[in-house]
Amino acid sequence: MTDTPQDLPEGASKRLAELEHGLFTSDLSVNEFLLIKEVGFHPLGFVMGSSIYHTGIQTRKWGQSQELTKLTEAMYNARELAMTRMEEEAAELGADGVVGVRLDVNYYEWGKDAAEFIAVGTAVKADNGVSHRNKLGKPFTSDLSGQDFWTLMQTGHIPQGLVMGTCVYHIAHRGIGQTLGSAGQNVELPNFTQALYEARELAMTRMQDEANQLGASGIVGVRLEEKSHQWGSHTIEFLSLGTAVVKTSGEVTLPAPTTIISLDN
Amino acid sequence: MTGPAPLAADRPDGSAGDATHGDIRKEMLAAARSLARSAPSPAAAMTSDLSIDEELTLHSIGWEPIELVYGVSLHSIPMGVWNWGQGEITYASSAFARSFAAATDRIHHECARSGGHGVVGVHVERTVDRHHIGVALTGTAVRPVGAKKLPTADSVFVSDLSGRDFTLLQGSGWAPLGLAAGASFVYAPRRSMGMAMKQTSQNVELTNFTEAMYTARESAMERMQRSALAMRGTGVVEVKVTEGPMEFAHHAVGFSAYGTVIRLVAGQHRNLAPRMVLSLDDPVRGVEATALRGT
Amino acid sequence: MDDVPGDLPEAAARRFSEGAFTSGLTVPDFAACLQMGLEPAGYVQGFCVMKWGSWQFYPGAGAYGGYGPSVGSTHGGYSESWQCPHGFVSAEHRVWGQNYEQPWVEEAWANGFTSAYERLIEEASALGAHGIVGLVDTSAPLGDLGVLEFRVQGTAVKVRDGPPPADGRPWTTYLAGQRLAKLIEAGYMPVSIAATVASVRVWASCITAYLTEGTNPGWTSQAVGAEIEQTARAQMAVRRIARERVRSQLGGDSLHGASMGTRERELGEGDADLECILRGNRVRRFKEFDPMPAPRPTVRLS
Repeated sequence: MTDTPQDLPEGASKRLAELEHGLFTSDLSVNEFLLIKEVGFHPLGFVMGSSIYHTGIQTRKWGQSQELTKLTEAMYNARELAMTRMEEEAAELGADGVVGVRLDVNYYEWGKDAAEFIAVGTAVKADNGVSHRNKLGKPFTSDLSGQDFWTLMQTGHIPQGLVMGTCVYHIAHRGIGQTLGSAGQNVELPNFTQALYEARELAMTRMQDEANQLGASGIVGVRLEEKSHQWGSHTIEFLSLGTAVVKTSGEVTLPAPTTIISLDN
Repeated sequence: MTGPAPLAADRPDGSAGDATHGDIRKEMLAAARSLARSAPSPAAAMTSDLSIDEELTLHSIGWEPIELVYGVSLHSIPMGVWNWGQGEITYASSAFARSFAAATDRIHHECARSGGHGVVGVHVERTVDRHHIGVALTGTAVRPVGAKKLPTADSVFVSDLSGRDFTLLQGSGWAPLGLAAGASFVYAPRRSMGMAMKQTSQNVELTNFTEAMYTARESAMERMQRSALAMRGTGVVEVKVTEGPMEFAHHAVGFSAYGTVIRLVAGQHRNLAPRMVLSLDDPVRGVEATALRGT
Repeated sequence: MDDVPGDLPEAAARRFSEGAFTSGLTVPDFAACLQMGLEPAGYVQGFCVMKWGSWQFYPGAGAYGGYGPSVGSTHGGYSESWQCPHGFVSAEHRVWGQNYEQPWVEEAWANGFTSAYERLIEEASALGAHGIVGLVDTSAPLGDLGVLEFRVQGTAVKVRDGPPPADGRPWTTYLAGQRLAKLIEAGYMPVSIAATVASVRVWASCITAYLTEGTNPGWTSQAVGAEIEQTARAQMAVRRIARERVRSQLGGDSLHGASMGTRERELGEGDADLECILRGNRVRRFKEFDPMPAPRPTVRLS
């Protein structure tokens, strides 16, 4: 057991110490709990990490569509901090990985220009004592549900980490003026379209880079989210998330599924 | 993303029940005929808020519902507590803890009085108001069919597990013990964010604020854990975490966590070996009868 | 409704498409009813509008300053009182507090609901129905008029080859479709729905008032942050009354699939009006307890 990392609050070390005495906690449903056990893992405890980060907007050049790089960095750092603390808690418990990771953002009325980024999940460990940590020696993270985790393991793959790429993009205001001129016509708005494409590309490429660093063979469950946080409608964060996976050396145990027609609503 | 695991009773032909159509018509007819002739039997009446699915799964392991049970408590919060201060709002945290404990105690007694060995499907309702914090628990007491033993309030379990989850856990060798809950209420850190902004450059973490929120969250979790340890549980499942500012005091933030404590009662965990199914249904869209409800 | 299931008997399909038949049932529920041998006979409703809310003319319900409702109010039913322990009296400081059941509210609700229900039964009997499924009941205020409208509606059905009900009154249930089929498979037959309202008034004692307002006059030794016992007991009582009343209406039958909802109206100074509504299906066993084998868990791929 490592010493509690300096970064985690005191309350965390007390709570984690209790978990090391054999009690587990998890926000997994009963179904997920049982399926995790099926593939030879058991839950250790609920783990979390958070960071309240300044998200104030930098000066913008109104005429240009561009990435706001400082903000991109801020969004990325904030989430990384939250994820890293969650991973540290998991490592403290001796976990192999964290499943069911949820990333949330809280805005508080008393905190304009700032937001709280939270990462929570359930730390798990393999029953057979063999380390299942990822290539970097850290507990793997994944936002897969218990069911998806079970299915993935059946196909001979294991998660390596939740990978993300983010890009905060400002969409030029001048584009609006031009569009008003052509109002009433069904035209594409080239400024907007171009901006959206670029932003998404940047986000997804960065996510893929993270996956490569983990030596992944693929990314599952990819999704793209768009948030304006508290910036107004011309500044959008594009967040691309997925779970990087790698093939295990184990055999594929996927049996032929039974087809059913459910009589339930 | 796969959905929750459905339970398909084993049929000889492996299908989910084409064979029952003829049977269900006969059953309905038998039921209607029986009603036309019968009077209520003198057996003790059961009251339950479980759905029929839950009841069927309970029946399949030899358990039955007996009585709708509940427990309610509320504790006062003195005036001025929510005015902006520092650190934890201990009055609120302890009011929650005591209300939860008292409500749980009452539902335990209700369950024992009805002859139930435990309560499943508990619905937990928490109200946080300027002057009081209340907890209301509602669920159905259950027992093994035909059980004669009259339980004491200490020996019954309380859980927010559904009938189905209870059945699944029993099958794997786990039993529920009780509900564990923890909460903590804190003031947002004193120094206004506005000032903090001006004094720091961009791209920076606001460590005071992070520490305050993170600590409060951990506190709530830790109190829940302590409660679980006191019950000598092995684990807590389906933990529900809620957090947010108070409606009536935006600078005060509350965090709570609760879940069902379980213990391994069989020698070791029994795997279920679920079967993988591929459903050929498309999602059904239709007019919902509940849309007719006025309120 | 254009996706009619392909296996509907021809006659039903024709009626269905002609619009001669209306139903609150969803398409799957409708199909499930036919599979059970339940033939829809028509959509039935019952209404009743009751004057509501002018309780000030009923004894004990108004505000009487510091002196509370008339001493020893016996309205029947649940009642508990608390004496002020502080040993002085004033216009603001209450001499005692009392929780009491409000049978006039409960009876009024029962009248409204029963009237609406009886009209529903009449309509269904006129159609020669054996039962009513998929029942929906609502009670909602109509505008600002101080009236409450009770509405009960459902689908009247006939059991193919089945007997008409012994007392001429169709059986009723909130369930329909698959859920009803499973109820029958579990060995229960619906008898009727059961619904009741319990109403308890909290006339706050001085301690309750202080605790609810959060005030803590220095001269009391009331523990700060104590349980608001009077209100907690009222909350427990209102649920118990609702459950016991339904139980007494069940005979030896059981209440299945119940839902219990409580509502609290705060009237200031710790006073409150608590209401608990309990609804469910009254059902009767028609065959021996014969549980299905333990289900086999599955994981769905899609």
